[in-house]
Amino acid sequence: MPNPFTPIMQGMKITLGHLFKKPITLQYPEERPKVAERFRGLHGLKVSHNRAKCVACYLCPTVCPAKCITVEAGEDANHDKFAAVYEIDMLRCIFCGYCVEACPVDALKMTGEFELANYRREDFVFTKERLLEKK
Amino acid sequence: MVTLTIDDKQVTVEKNATIFDAAKVAGVNIPILCHDKKLKPFGACRMCLVEVEQMKGRLIPACTTPVTEGMIVRSTTESVEKARKLVLELLMLNHPLDCPVCDKGGDCELQNLAYDHKVNVNRLSDEKFHHEIDYNNPLIERDQNRCVLCGKCVRICDEIVSRGALTFMNRGIETKIGTEFDGPLNCEFCGSCISVCPVGALLARPFKFKARFWALQKKSSVCGYCGTGCSLTLGVKDNKVLTTVYDENQGFHNGQLCVRGRFGYQFINSDKRLKSPLIRKNGELVEAGWDEALELVAARLKSAGTAAAALATPRMTNEELLLLKQLMIKEVGSPNIDHSAGYGHAALTAGLAKSFGVAAAPSTILDIQKSDLLLVVKSDAYETHPVVGFEINMAVKNKGVKLHILSDKRGKLGKLPGATVLVHAPGTEVTLLNAMAKVLIDENLASGAVAITGYTELCAGLAGFAPEQVADQCGVNAEAIRQMARDYAAADKALIVFPTGLAYPVQDAQVAHAVANLAILAGKLGKEGSGLLVLQEKNNSQGAVDVGFVPATGGLDARAILDGCVSGSIKTLLIAGENPLVSYPNQTNVREALQNVEFLVVADLFLTETAKQADVVLPVCSYAEKEGTFTATDRRVQKVQPVISPVAQSRPEFKMYGDLIRILGGQAPATPADAFVEIPAYAVLSYASLSTEGAFVPASVSSQLVLPKCSVSVVETGKLALLVGAALYHCGTLSQFGEGPLSVCPEGYLEISRSDAARMKIVDNDEVAVSTASGTVRLKARVSPRMSEGIVFSPYHFAGNPINQIWSGAAVTSVTISK
Ligand code: SF4
Ligand code: SF4
Ligand code: SF4
Ligand code: SF4
Ligand code: SF4
Ligand code: FES
Repeated sequence: MPNPFTPIMQGMKITLGHLFKKPITLQYPEERPKVAERFRGLHGLKVSHNRAKCVACYLCPTVCPAKCITVEAGEDANHDKFAAVYEIDMLRCIFCGYCVEACPVDALKMTGEFELANYRREDFVFTKERLLEKK
Repeated sequence: MVTLTIDDKQVTVEKNATIFDAAKVAGVNIPILCHDKKLKPFGACRMCLVEVEQMKGRLIPACTTPVTEGMIVRSTTESVEKARKLVLELLMLNHPLDCPVCDKGGDCELQNLAYDHKVNVNRLSDEKFHHEIDYNNPLIERDQNRCVLCGKCVRICDEIVSRGALTFMNRGIETKIGTEFDGPLNCEFCGSCISVCPVGALLARPFKFKARFWALQKKSSVCGYCGTGCSLTLGVKDNKVLTTVYDENQGFHNGQLCVRGRFGYQFINSDKRLKSPLIRKNGELVEAGWDEALELVAARLKSAGTAAAALATPRMTNEELLLLKQLMIKEVGSPNIDHSAGYGHAALTAGLAKSFGVAAAPSTILDIQKSDLLLVVKSDAYETHPVVGFEINMAVKNKGVKLHILSDKRGKLGKLPGATVLVHAPGTEVTLLNAMAKVLIDENLASGAVAITGYTELCAGLAGFAPEQVADQCGVNAEAIRQMARDYAAADKALIVFPTGLAYPVQDAQVAHAVANLAILAGKLGKEGSGLLVLQEKNNSQGAVDVGFVPATGGLDARAILDGCVSGSIKTLLIAGENPLVSYPNQTNVREALQNVEFLVVADLFLTETAKQADVVLPVCSYAEKEGTFTATDRRVQKVQPVISPVAQSRPEFKMYGDLIRILGGQAPATPADAFVEIPAYAVLSYASLSTEGAFVPASVSSQLVLPKCSVSVVETGKLALLVGAALYHCGTLSQFGEGPLSVCPEGYLEISRSDAARMKIVDNDEVAVSTASGTVRLKARVSPRMSEGIVFSPYHFAGNPINQIWSGAAVTSVTISK
């Protein structure tokens, strides 16, 4: 017959031990989590030479399994291709990161941004303006 | 036949086949880059290298090497694979590889080959090309940096289009595809070169960056412009037609299209399409609902009764024309229906109906390549039906078919090797054809026709038509006429081709009699590759005749209908798809008619000049939005299916006329399939088995010789003779809404001979005033070597330069020209 107090003592030991450890829970939103570098959050369109690197090749909308990326290409004054429209519907995105992998010009990344809650459905559609990397 | 072995498979093929052809038969895939089944073997790229047992020590190009008996070919050995990889690495050495921004991506032969042969690194490195990209024309972008010098564009433009606008320039690494003096591309813009380019060196600008190839749905349809009836594939995305897609296996023409077919699709999703029905209230056209509009139209048609009339465009499907006919004749009780200004179909309904006993020509476009001699009446055949023109080009250049042309002006066909052109005085074609018939009779070349009805009358009627008697009047050499008649009679298989249409009322019925006479006299009917082919203007001109959309017994024809509107005897006029204010001759009369008629209904895709005059405008669908059949000029019945849903509130006319019939208490066929069985001419066909490529309904001919009437038209002294016709880039007035054709040919013009231009000090692009007693039209001048002195030409399609203000449909109009 084992001592009935042993399990209780062992439990108390763990509890006491935790009293002196750094807490795991975060006082969100006062305290902010530090996300991992490889975290797949909201997309960002990279900028180079003051314009989006995206050349509107349509590979990311093609590869996207959730079909949530809309690209419409335009022709600029130099006859070059650019994304006149670039939108991601975050309600449908499954954060698989295929789009980033597919991009042939490394124009797309996924940021640590995870606070995507909003009040209206329309606000979940991130336009090019909202996705562009901020300086 | 030759038997050989390819990759251990034995095949037997024709003696003149290449290894590539044989491999195809054996089901062995040999990669190609510069080879095209439509073009002559060239052997530029060396992608198709194979090993041949009997020719050890070197690799053999499969696309140019003829097969020999007992040949043993291997297509996948290590050395072959190595060589192909090297070819690709060399091709990509200076190639920009900007696939992300290249519209060819996904449809690119170079990409596909690189993928198939796993060329993911290049062992060689060199500088990329720095050619300037040509954006100088609105339709074709030429990026020589991406060119792999396969020469397909050069060859198709020469071998099939016969334009020769492109060629190789410079040598070695500097080689590029160039244009005339390396200037901007100035050509027919048929886009054939784009269609065969394996890479993104030639791209269609109207489609640039619009969508990726793989995102397009490819839907088969039939070109909605001319009577050639080319099948085409439309590229559709998000319910919009974005482009035409090349399919080398489509139709008799192997996917070849002209500028209108390839670039004229933009009217389908044009912003200018009508959004909803319009009803005139207080003098203004305002948007209205379909029910209100249809009730109103039905009531006004019914109340007009025999004073109602309908003019329809032969761009409607057979089933729609049938319903409109039923609506007018049965429900409204009016026999007044017609199309194409009442004379556009005269060659069939008045001409051949009498000469052949059937309102259709007996030959098909396929006969062109099987013929020995082609007699083209009017060089405009190329402009009106460019893809038929390609067939003629190929027949003459590849098969050595002889070409004879009778025309009032020179044209592109006359430049083909060995072509004989008789340029005659304007309006004398019937006289000239009669003279040829006279030669056949006099020289005993028509002995087989003696028993045919009308022979004696014809012989008597042609008494004054010996070439020597009419040579001066026609402005041609008598011996040349004789020779042409003799050549025609001597050819085993001879085919006459002649274009008709709104712009050519020139005694069309008489020309039809005259050419039919020639074919009957010389015994050219009933043989493959021989006979008569009438090229009709619109995509369903033959169908409109087959359905019988012509005045019923006691009914008025188009011109009488318009006169009736002026005099007040026609009270309600329904115009379906026609734009008479631009396309019919004698514009003043048409305008007066449209203003005078009590109630005008226009069903169209656009608010055309005619629709602006209407009391009710009904928005209808283009060919891409509806189901039904079209009959091409050689009686090939083709079925189309909707490739997109109706634009805005537009409705298929089939539904619209069905509804009108039902409102008036009648019963209409429920589906196009039900309507199709009601067309007696097509009883031999089954609707279900029809496709976009179509099925022929042969015309059974019972010949009769008819003496054609000649009317002599003289040009007033001191004036020039105005000829009206069609421009290559346009067809009717619909192409005015297809942005592609309009971008290269935006306005009307006046072609004038060099000598007249020099005399009047007119240079290209000068604005000149062309006047007759009935008015003046201002047009830009084009000094052209193809016009003879004293003759000017203007196309009729343009609302902005309405040549029909001064042209009343006469064969020859005397005009004065001033700067
Ligand atoms: S894959 Fe990259 S370049 Fe292509 S559309 Fe997406 S973000 Fe733009
Ligand atoms: S031509 Fe082909 S390989 Fe070259 S850039 Fe375009 S898609 Fe890429
Ligand atoms: S568009 Fe037609 S005519 Fe012009 S270069 Fe190409 S193939 Fe030749
Ligand atoms: S432009 Fe295109 S078709 Fe012409 S040679 Fe170059 S790659 Fe070939
Ligand atoms: S020839 Fe006629 S049917 Fe063929 S593509 Fe041109 S316009 Fe269309
Ligand atoms: S395909 Fe044979 S050499 Fe180009």
